[in-house]
Amino acid sequence: MTIIEVKNISKKFEFYRKQQGLLGSFKSLFFREKLYSDALKDINFNIKEGEIVGFLGPNGAGKTTTLKILSGILHPTSGEAKVLGFTPSKREKEYQKQFALVMGQKNNLLKDLPAIESFVMYRDIYEVPEEDFNKNLEELAGLLDIKDFLDIPVRKLSLGQRMKCELIAALIHRPKVLFLDEPTIGLDVVAQKNIRNFIKKYNKESKTSIILTSHYMEDIKELCERVIIINFGKIIYDDKLDDLIRKYAPYKLLKITFNENGVRKEDVEKYGELDGFTPYSCVIKIKREEAKNTAASILSSNLPVDDILIDEIDVDDVIREIFGR
Amino acid sequence: MKKYLTVINVYWQRALTYRSTVFAYRVGEMAEVLILILMWSSIYDKQDVIKGFTLPEMITYVLIGNLFNAITRNFLTHIVASDIKEGRLSTFLLQPISYFNFILSRELGRLSVAFLMSISSQVIVILFFLSKFILNSDIIYLSVILLMIILAFVSELLISYLIGLIAFWADEVDGIFTTVDRLRKFFSGGYFPLNFLPPIFVTASFSLPFAYSFFVPAQLYLKKIDISAGIRGIFIQLIWIALLYGIIRLLWRRGLKKYEGVGI
Repeated sequence: MTIIEVKNISKKFEFYRKQQGLLGSFKSLFFREKLYSDALKDINFNIKEGEIVGFLGPNGAGKTTTLKILSGILHPTSGEAKVLGFTPSKREKEYQKQFALVMGQKNNLLKDLPAIESFVMYRDIYEVPEEDFNKNLEELAGLLDIKDFLDIPVRKLSLGQRMKCELIAALIHRPKVLFLDEPTIGLDVVAQKNIRNFIKKYNKESKTSIILTSHYMEDIKELCERVIIINFGKIIYDDKLDDLIRKYAPYKLLKITFNENGVRKEDVEKYGELDGFTPYSCVIKIKREEAKNTAASILSSNLPVDDILIDEIDVDDVIREIFGR
Repeated sequence: MKKYLTVINVYWQRALTYRSTVFAYRVGEMAEVLILILMWSSIYDKQDVIKGFTLPEMITYVLIGNLFNAITRNFLTHIVASDIKEGRLSTFLLQPISYFNFILSRELGRLSVAFLMSISSQVIVILFFLSKFILNSDIIYLSVILLMIILAFVSELLISYLIGLIAFWADEVDGIFTTVDRLRKFFSGGYFPLNFLPPIFVTASFSLPFAYSFFVPAQLYLKKIDISAGIRGIFIQLIWIALLYGIIRLLWRRGLKKYEGVGI
């Protein structure tokens, strides 16, 4: 079942240019040059029920703009978005009760009060019945392990604890669609992992469709089977994460360890481009289709091989390469 | 309805966590009233009546007027302006609650604490000057005053909200806000009774919304204007409220378009 449908969406932003300095400021009082930037250019994609899709792209690529359009904050300049059959920009209450947007850099909790007060406020704003609220809160608080600090003012909490509370505040009305904009930003490795595990479990149990943006590849690798890559307002890739590596990384890495006798550089160089070398280990970049044969010929050569491993290029490097173009 | 009560409740709690700040504000308020009384007392040293005001009338004017002012005042402008400038408005656009209603309930919750303490501090000052304070127990006058104060509270809220909305277009609203605030204080009769000035100022202030939070109800309290003038004032207030609400709706729609266009 398709939950999110995005058809030919474009978005232009207006902005003004100001000449540098005081004189420029005076000039801009009377005359401003109006310019447009294309934040999104003809975007298309569909997302099914229960799917977690990763949005990748450098800063300013259009990820947040897309999420804002899907949440109804921004109207698209052209094209059509449908989520759960609703047009987000109409801001219908029925739609608003069924989705949530969590932004890692913004907070929706009242920081001077314990988180529980914010939860109660959102319970009533979203008109969640008392019983459902108690059940949800019990479950979410258990999953995220926050029962100990429900009654401490939010400003006294650590960033990781606060983020957990932000997630609960967003999920208190059991949204069918969830937009997560960098939910793990600024968190330490352990806290990131906690949030990730939670999202995974929550998605599995409640069949929520999730769009996730993150600059941490770990988040994407662990949560998303499918990724959409945006750059300069255009979708440049929309498919499985595994296929991304196959498609964009024509090389595999041959990681070889040698025994105590060691090797000379020129003995291994002839097999392919070196990606790292010491006399006792080396990494060779090899064309995907030749990887097996090369590994075999290295094994059958008289090199003192101790161990050999054929590995994929790290997805971080693949993505960096794509954006670098 | 329940959601608004909850918002009021939550912001009441929040205001209570800032008890000491709320209290600190009251010190300044009380000091201002005392300074005004001190000033008028020394002006009245050589004469008994100035422009029709006796000293007890003047002291009553200052005390009761500041009490009314404490009830009707708010600090909404900064909240609205910073929500717009810092993009917090976005979070409200995606929740099933209107921003206007949220902000009003939130302000009611926040005010209730500041408000109660403000009233009590003004009442304390009044008790202190009770010998010079003129009591009015005319139930008809008092009910007209009550209605006028409630309407003044609403129109002050709308004015502040309206100025806050200017943040959609201007980079900051502090300048406009301060200017309006000074004019407001002058036209409300907060510096001195407006009938110290040529009659044109009184006429002008009757047709503006500001005088209804200070000068007009204080004059009613002192029975210096009659009840019919008070009732006429209430109609003018109602017209202002309708007008302000209309302008707010218009600005809100246009502002939102701009907000979306720039993508703050």
